[in-house]
Parts: sequence; structure tokens; C-alpha cells
Amino acid sequence: MPLHIIVCIKSVVREASGGAALRTPENSELNPFDRPALEAALRVREELGGSVTALSMGPRTAAEALGEALAMGVDQAILISDRALAGSDTLVTAAVLARGIEKLAPFDLVFFGTRTADSDTGQVGPQTALLLGLPFLSKVKEMSRGEDGWKVMRTMDDWEEDWEVQGPWAATIHGAAFEARPVGLAAISRVYDGSAVQEWSLRELGISPDAVGLSGSPTRVASMEKIKRARTCLMLEGEPREQVKSLLQRLDDAGVIG
Amino acid sequence: MSEPFIEDKQRLVRRSVRAFCEKELRPIAADIDKEARFPWEVVEKMAPLGYFGMQAPRELGGAGLDTVSYAVAIEEISRVSGSMGLCLSVHNSVAVYPICAFGTPEQQKRWVPPLAGGRKIGAFCLTEPNAGSDASGITSTAIPDGDHFLVNANKVLVTNGGVADICLIFARTDPAAGNRGISVVVAERGTPGFVVGDLEDLCGMRANPVSSIRLYDCRIPGENLLHKPGMGLHVGLAALDTGRIGIGAQALGIARAALEESVRYANQRHQFGAPLARHQAVQMMIADMAVQVDAARLMVYRAAWLKDRGLPFTKEAAQAKLFAAEAAGKVTDMAVQIHGGYGYSKAYAVERYYRDARVTRIYEGTSEIHRMVIARETLQGK
Repeated sequence: MPLHIIVCIKSVVREASGGAALRTPENSELNPFDRPALEAALRVREELGGSVTALSMGPRTAAEALGEALAMGVDQAILISDRALAGSDTLVTAAVLARGIEKLAPFDLVFFGTRTADSDTGQVGPQTALLLGLPFLSKVKEMSRGEDGWKVMRTMDDWEEDWEVQGPWAATIHGAAFEARPVGLAAISRVYDGSAVQEWSLRELGISPDAVGLSGSPTRVASMEKIKRARTCLMLEGEPREQVKSLLQRLDDAGVIG
Repeated sequence: MSEPFIEDKQRLVRRSVRAFCEKELRPIAADIDKEARFPWEVVEKMAPLGYFGMQAPRELGGAGLDTVSYAVAIEEISRVSGSMGLCLSVHNSVAVYPICAFGTPEQQKRWVPPLAGGRKIGAFCLTEPNAGSDASGITSTAIPDGDHFLVNANKVLVTNGGVADICLIFARTDPAAGNRGISVVVAERGTPGFVVGDLEDLCGMRANPVSSIRLYDCRIPGENLLHKPGMGLHVGLAALDTGRIGIGAQALGIARAALEESVRYANQRHQFGAPLARHQAVQMMIADMAVQVDAARLMVYRAAWLKDRGLPFTKEAAQAKLFAAEAAGKVTDMAVQIHGGYGYSKAYAVERYYRDARVTRIYEGTSEIHRMVIARETLQGK
């Protein structure tokens, strides 16, 4: 059976000086943390064969992020998009993605980035895995397939942990684990020749609009306030030798060094 | 900001090219200018990504991009390094493009794959010591001799000249026939009699190896004639029409870089107890720069958009190149002024943008020539 790897990606907002921002095509891009996940999937396909599907839940602007995934080399790209999904929290997002992943079965691996550059919760990967009942590993750095199952490596502080897991399994991919390949111009040209991205609505997934969106989400962001950092300036007196000594002492006391 | 002509595909091209250039070209952009060094190591990385065959057909190893995407790509490269933007614009627009547009299937199969794959670099050799704007003043000859041409050519100020393998040489195949006797022959480096001259020591675009290319009794095969005998100026003008869009995009990229640096500096630098950005004199300059860049951008993309639709674009391309080049001059000049004394130092990037911008008003048709083209088109009611 050829491998089928699903990578869940998100189109994120680049700049939001006022907190929440309007998702426009110019202000949206593929979540940088998703690139290592896509790269990991593409390398598994290169080594072991099979196919890679990129899946995303988002508004129409998310199609560009899926276009980038196609230009990187994934075999198919699917966008779950519906007006009713606006305002969904991570649990609802996970439930929707899980239904999409089930519709794409059979699959062997499901990858996520560790977090998004805009919401930064890190929750969707583990939540989706849990809803699917899949074994889950976080911040995976390496993987290989053995005789009976997979060997997976992740790091914990200065330690390398080697895990064994039977597929299908899910993981978030460590941001520094894989350097994403650059996107070639011929690939972009090919992607936009045909109809690049498939779109699925809630109806096709059998999900009720009441179960999603702001009204369907058990959690919601009540407000956002920018953190104000008081800038203090400490003047160190004395000759350079004394200033250095004083600085080192303060850094040590603050636990920054030593 | 949102704009017409730009859709998902062009945005993806912009993001990918920018990401690549910020990673691979940005760290060396100032050094290659200072050392007048052509960055082969970046060329090697650009090649597999299709940068050397952006609009060439995919069947011949190119990327097959539309012209707006091409303009965006050149703009993003030029934003980081004007010299590399120049290299790629000339290679793509006036070397690869004429071969694709006018070459026989055999010629295309021979030359396009190595050019589009970045294994060979192209050049356009028209200018001579006594023939710049006055292209019909060229004296180079390519006299038919059996199944060869005997070529004697003295071409100067050739962009990419120091590294070019495949050169479009404009020469007289019929010296008695005036302009109708000018043809294009493709000469390859390594042919006996093909001599690459010393590199020019230029004010800007210093990482581009501009040199002379001279052919001394050079025997070029008859199959290397591009299009038909006497069609040289026709090929040249068609190539330059396309090249105008590339150079317009190049000037736009340089202008954008200068504006971005100026915004950053104006927000950081304090004088008279406030950031420069709070002083109206600086605000007026920033406003003028923003308008210049935005107008140049719309004009360049519009010319590209027309070309993609097979619509006439000669006047619009000339306008775009004229405007973008003059905008680059104004914007980089104001950028140096905003940076004050530091703007005059090589420690900051703006003096390189200022020097790089200057030549955009000169090559691929001086501003004066473009004004003549635009006037002619306008007075003919176009």
C-alpha cells in the first residue's frame, strides 16, 4: 500500500498592529511553522514513495497557502471553506480537520506545524489527533520506518528521545527539523495552469453550521490588549572594568547567565 | 496594498523570489558591488528554480510564467541587488525571448534549454563605440561566405558580456542595403576569433560583468542566423519592447528598496527631539517617493498585462520604462537626502541604490529615445 501523508496547514495573517486583523490576500501567507511539516512529508514521500495531501480550513484567501504547498510538490490540496466557520476556536477547527482527514482515508501520517505565527496556541495538532484517536508525538525531529512500525526522534532539553509508534500516527514537526525547499518558478506556473485547489464545504463533510463558528466554539477571545513594556535605563558607574563587573553581576543575579 | 494585475499566482511568485533573495542575495549584495564580483554561487542556486528561463516554454526547460509574474520576479530581485536584476532582465528579455520568438524549432532546441537552465548566460550585442541610440550607425559586418558568415564586430558596454556564452550579434549582412541589411547572428563564446574585452569599471551595477565583445574574422555557421537576413532591427526592436518591461521592473525594485530604507530610517533617526518622520520636510519627501513608486508599479504591471493579452504595448512599455527609471532617480536621490551624511557612506545601502538607479535612464533606450517613441505613438493617435 503506498503511503498517504496528510499535512494540515494554515494561512496566517502577517501583520496585525491592532490585534485582530483583516485577512486579505496581501496580508496572508502560509504559516512559516507549516513549512517544515510540508518538507518532512515530501522527504518521506521521496524516500518511501506514496502521496502527500495538504489540507487547510480557512477563508478563500487560504487558497494561496495551499498553492504554495502544491508548488513545493504536494500531490493534492484541499481547502475546507464555509462562511459559517468564521470565528471557530481551535477545538472546532480540530473537529472540522478531523472530519476532513477521515474523508481522505486511508492515511498513514498526519503532520502539523508546532504552532501558527498569528494565533500561537499550538493546540490544533494535539486536539485533532485526539479527536481521531491517533497516537501523537510533538516536536518530531526525525523519523524512519522499520520492520514493524516507525522509529521517531524528538528532543527534550539536551536529550534525544527515541520513540516507537505504530501507524497511523500524528505529529507536530519541530520548526528547526527540516529546512523547507525553495519554491521554483516552473512549479508555480504549473500550479496555476489548472484548477489548483479543491474546495470542500461543511455540507460535504456532514457538519452542521451550528456546531462551528463563533456560536459553536466553547472558547472565544474576549479582548486583546497590547502588552506595555516599561523601558527602564540603568546607568552603570565607574571605569570600564568596574562597569563590566557590575553588568556581569546583575546578569548573574537575574539568572540570565551563570 | 491591494492592486490590480496582481493575483494569487503573482503573490506567490513575489513571496518565493523575495524569500530566496533575502536568504541568498541580501548577505552579499553590498560586497559584490564593492568588489565588482559576479556571484556565481547565487547563479547556481537560482538556475534550478527557473530564474534564467522565467518566460521560456516549460517544454524547453523554462518556467513558462506570464509577463506580470516575470515583472514581479525582476522587481523582487532588483530590490535586493540591482546588478542581478539587470543580469536576469537582459538574459530573459533580450537574449532568451528573441530566440523563442524568432528562432527556428531547431535553434530553440539548441539554445533555449541551456539558457533557461542557467547553464549558459545570454547577451545582446548592439551598441558600438559610434552607435548607441543611433542603432543604424553600426558598422559590424557578417558577410555571407559559403554556408558561414564572416563576422567582424566591435560591440561595447555589453551587459553580462564578461560571462555570456550565447550572444546575439547585430551586424550588416548586406552593407549596401542600409537598415534593411542588418541581421542578427548568434555567436557562441569559444568560437575562434570571439574575444571578450576587459570589464568596465562602472559607477553602479558593479556586480554585473559589463564588457566589450569583439569578433575578429569569426566564422559563424549560417544556421546561426536568427529570423531572416535584413530583419535585425525588427528583432532588436521587438526584443527591446519586452526588455523595457524588465528594466522598468528593475528600476521599480531599486526605487522600492530606497523608499523602504528611508521609511525605516525616518522612523528611527531623531533630530530636534523627534524622529525625522515627524518633520514635515521629510514627510513631503516620503509622500513624493511613495507616489512615484506606486505610479511606476502600476505602469510596469499594466504594460506586462497588455503583453500577456496579445494587445499592443509598445507605447505603454516605453512609458513604463521612462517613468520607472526617472522615478528611481528621484526616489534614490531623496533617499540619500533623508539619510543625511550617513546616506553618503557605504555603510548604508542607499548610496548603492543611488548609483544603481542612474543607468536605468540610459540603457535599453535612453529617456530621450523613449520620449520620441511615446510622442510618435501619441501624435499618431495611439
